[in-house]
Amino acid sequence: MTELNIADPTNTSVPVLSVSGLTKKFPGVLALDDVSIEVRSGEVLAIIGENGAGKSTLIKMLAGVYKPDGGTIAINGEVQNYASPADALKAGTKVVFQEIALIPEFTVAENIFLESHLITRIGTIDWPEIRRRARDIFERAGFALDPDAKVGDLSISQQQLVEISRALAHDAKLVIMDEPTSSLTPLEVRHLFEVIERLKSLGIAIIYVSHKLEEIFEISDRCTILRDGKWISTQPTSSHTNDSLIKDMVGRSIDDLFPRSERKFGDTVVQVDGLYTHNRLDNISFNVRAGEVLGFFGLMGAGRTELAKAIVGYDPISAGSIKINGNLLSPHSTIKSKSLGLGLLSEDRKEEGLMMDANVTRNMTLSALQKFTRGGFVNAAAETKTAQSFVDRFRIKLAKLGQPIRTLSGGNQQKVLLSRWLMYGLEVIVLDEPTRGIDVGAKTEIFALIDELASQGLAVILMTSEMPELLGLSDRICVLAEGKITATFETSNVTQEEILDAAIQ
Amino acid sequence: MPQSNNIKSKFSLFSTSRGNSELALIVSLLVVITIFSFMSEYFLTVRNLTNVLGQASIIMALAMGVAIVLISGEVDISVGSVVAAVAIPLVEIMNATDSLMLGIAGALALGLMIGAINGYLSAYLRINSLIVTLGTLFIIRGFVYLYTGKRPIADTGYLENFFQLGSGRFLDILPNPALVAGIIVIFFIFIMRHTRFGRRIYAVGSNAEVASLAGYNVRRLRFYCFIICSLLASVGGILLSSRLGSAIHTAGMGYEFQAIAAVVLGGVSLAGGIGSLFGVMLGVLILAFVSNGLGMINLPTEWQLVITGLVIIAAVALDAFKKKSR
Amino acid sequence: MPATESIKQITNPIKKILTSEVGFLVLSLLALIIGISSFSEQFLSAPNAVAILHQSSLVLIVAIGMTVLLISGEVDISVGANLAFSSCVVMAVINQTDSIALGALAGIAFGTSVGFINAFVTTVLKVNSLIGTIAMMMMLKGGVFLFTREAIQNHHQLPLFPKIATGFVLGIPVPALIASIVAIIGWVIMTRTKAGRLFLATGANQKATRLSGYSPERVKFAAFLLTGALTGLAAVILASLINAGQPTAGGGFELIVIAAVLLGGTSLMGGRGTILGTIFGVLILKIVDNGIILLRLNQDYQIIFPGIVLILALYMDQKRRGTTND
Repeated sequence: MTELNIADPTNTSVPVLSVSGLTKKFPGVLALDDVSIEVRSGEVLAIIGENGAGKSTLIKMLAGVYKPDGGTIAINGEVQNYASPADALKAGTKVVFQEIALIPEFTVAENIFLESHLITRIGTIDWPEIRRRARDIFERAGFALDPDAKVGDLSISQQQLVEISRALAHDAKLVIMDEPTSSLTPLEVRHLFEVIERLKSLGIAIIYVSHKLEEIFEISDRCTILRDGKWISTQPTSSHTNDSLIKDMVGRSIDDLFPRSERKFGDTVVQVDGLYTHNRLDNISFNVRAGEVLGFFGLMGAGRTELAKAIVGYDPISAGSIKINGNLLSPHSTIKSKSLGLGLLSEDRKEEGLMMDANVTRNMTLSALQKFTRGGFVNAAAETKTAQSFVDRFRIKLAKLGQPIRTLSGGNQQKVLLSRWLMYGLEVIVLDEPTRGIDVGAKTEIFALIDELASQGLAVILMTSEMPELLGLSDRICVLAEGKITATFETSNVTQEEILDAAIQ
Repeated sequence: MPQSNNIKSKFSLFSTSRGNSELALIVSLLVVITIFSFMSEYFLTVRNLTNVLGQASIIMALAMGVAIVLISGEVDISVGSVVAAVAIPLVEIMNATDSLMLGIAGALALGLMIGAINGYLSAYLRINSLIVTLGTLFIIRGFVYLYTGKRPIADTGYLENFFQLGSGRFLDILPNPALVAGIIVIFFIFIMRHTRFGRRIYAVGSNAEVASLAGYNVRRLRFYCFIICSLLASVGGILLSSRLGSAIHTAGMGYEFQAIAAVVLGGVSLAGGIGSLFGVMLGVLILAFVSNGLGMINLPTEWQLVITGLVIIAAVALDAFKKKSR
Repeated sequence: MPATESIKQITNPIKKILTSEVGFLVLSLLALIIGISSFSEQFLSAPNAVAILHQSSLVLIVAIGMTVLLISGEVDISVGANLAFSSCVVMAVINQTDSIALGALAGIAFGTSVGFINAFVTTVLKVNSLIGTIAMMMMLKGGVFLFTREAIQNHHQLPLFPKIATGFVLGIPVPALIASIVAIIGWVIMTRTKAGRLFLATGANQKATRLSGYSPERVKFAAFLLTGALTGLAAVILASLINAGQPTAGGGFELIVIAAVLLGGTSLMGGRGTILGTIFGVLILKIVDNGIILLRLNQDYQIIFPGIVLILALYMDQKRRGTTND
């Protein structure tokens, strides 16, 4: 606890936010365990930690979404007892969630006054005043926003500005940003940092939650590390190094996260030529050989997911050709691509992968059903036996095959979905962010699995926005930016800087 | 650019988000009217046009309520049964007290109660509102049958003002029901556009979580929507009963489908949060004019059902197609 | 955690039965049978059992199709109107051709083609199936009156035709036999075949199903066709039972069917449901109907009760799952 004072001995004023001994229990887990932090006016406190470290639980309590089971939250020295998020805002705390909390059909100005529309004396909404006040806020903060634009038509970064304007409209003293850059382009990230500087100069305290270390070094003054719901340390960011941060986050340093086996490349399996889609992809061409991992790197909005979905016939293309072992993917459908031995593991497990209420077996055998089917009838015994063999092979942790898939952890769910395709037997697998939302331990296992698949001769197309994943797994790297391939590298002789350079254009 | 937008939204009668589809609806309405004017000389007469407004008034009241519930992200299909149910206290109380006002008060009280039940089950107990109101559709109709013994309850007091309510004309031109519907439409367009309550209903329907984060009591707002819907259905029931001069056990059957059809045609999204009551009004009028026009050119009335069905499918399909190509 | 859960379940068998879907339905059914038979001696008599089976058969046949359709994530409101229209087609074709086989075929073909149009409107035109089939219902209701103003009688007085549905095979009423066969086939499809898996998968996660190399549209198409065909089959039996084609038949039939299916535990959102549950759902509703008659209650309770059951069933289902649709 003493570190708090050591961190900033010169500042003697009352902190804007002071949290002490905050605890939150969920059935079976202690999500947050006796955490204390302070943030002062004009300061940026970064909060970092792995998935499950307790960051979002902490934020949700500060936002008034969850009620704490122990400890106190004080704003300007006054202890708060939030019944709802509206109370937190009244007290001066505004959270900009990763999922933007705006009404897309409403205008920018109306969204800023969503909590309480300004009204005239007779109780009707004072539209001119709402518009005028919105403009005032934009002027004060230097935002180039149109108060009458529909929020649904804005980019994510503009929508964040609307959220921040909401904070200013309510005279917020504390702004909490939850992974604000996860969907931003590099240029937009720069703009956001300028906005944060301006907020600091207005005396607003900021909590910045992110897992992107370089951003934390750039923007934050102090840095709190959480691990497994516990407070680990709070120190001036400048006293940290990359390694020390990572070490505190995981409690161990990650040296060889990605063991890689020797790979032998076979014949060319995938030939993509001059692919266009009407909204994003622009003249994409590449080849992949058997046993090779081709990594596609790109920042948010570069077109990775679009490419993944177009290759497997899920989304329509406007021009170009996709050939698997010389056979054209035509008609352009997932039915055809499956018959050619091409399948996609989607980035969005919940929306595009899992049947949540169905059991593990049903989820696992969906693609390969025909293998167990004779004359339209499914041989349940053979199905279960095969599913069990995959559970054993991939060490999927479960109580029984009949349990609903939603009761599995993210990593185990991902292994089931991967098994779905391996059971079918693919020639080419497209992996879109295969480790999103998966904890570090399971990540390593998934990496090992992908590596094993490639060494067995599968052609792998890997879409990722994470540099370590890209460098650790791929043999060759294509960089995507704005729907185009801007560079292609051999992994053995490329640096991170070169890749990033090609991605930011 | 901000300047031009500003002007547009200031002078726009309509909710800013759906201006285009409302324009399309106005054009469709004009096309319908033009076509029938050529096909029948009686169509484009003041008498007929005002008649149509009168005929449309009951569905109009129902559609406004259904639209508000749909905008809030729920659905209410019990309105047809409410129409039949509220006529019972209306007529019974009038027969007992000779007072139209007391009768109306009784009818609205029953409507309020039904709305509160629908709202409590859907908004507070969070039972799927389609099922809740499907259930109350049965239950209410069943109680109407039980009470009436499947026989009409006649208005035995022959109150002049009760007759005038449904069959009289304001200033000898506009049927009184159309006047009532018109007032309802204007009032609720205003509520939805220019009051906190209305804006919050849109927000709740668009994204209940965001609305809840903004401090709205989502459940209570939706509860109120069900009550408004039931009260408007009661108004429809009172108007219908006045035209029929009695409480009839089969009154309002199938009205829920007509109302939903008009609401969807008017551009309200089944998913909630999107749509304007002005559009809904146009949707009701289009269906009413089509129905009236078909009667004018002596097509059997059943064609109205067939063509209404086609119009709905075409409208929704077109909307889906537009969304896809966007 | 799963381990401790299962221990809890073993130690509390009553809770286990209550929390398992079918167990709960079986208990309700038993309670009903015991309850009604203790008030009425007729209840457990053979003629009464036949009556219950007759009444259950029509609903069950269509409910099997509706179960598959709801599991696939769509709904068909037009089954009642389809039933009425198809029954008229059956009788009209029999009158034309003097052939019962042709009449039956025509009825099933008509029902199937309605299913085909519903499928087309939903999967190709991308119209929400709730709205699309409401529109279809309107068109069929209008259309059947354009086809025939009144009930079509058995003009040639073919004596064989009414005998089919009122007859017995091996002591079982023919409609019940047909319904049983349909139910068994439905059960086999849903539990044993790849097609059944795809119905479930499509309703549970349409995008995942497409990514796994199937066409959700084709699956839904099949479910609509099946529902239409089974409605046609039910229409043949209906026509035979009343020895006529009745354009006003099937009023509220869609609601009874959907109520039974939901009572049986099928999810409105798709991806979950069983044929077994539907069988119990139909039986419970129809035994209550029967009980109302035997106990000399006003028959109007027959429409009140399903409404209450529907809401209660969904509420308890929600409680048991510990989830709401928030």
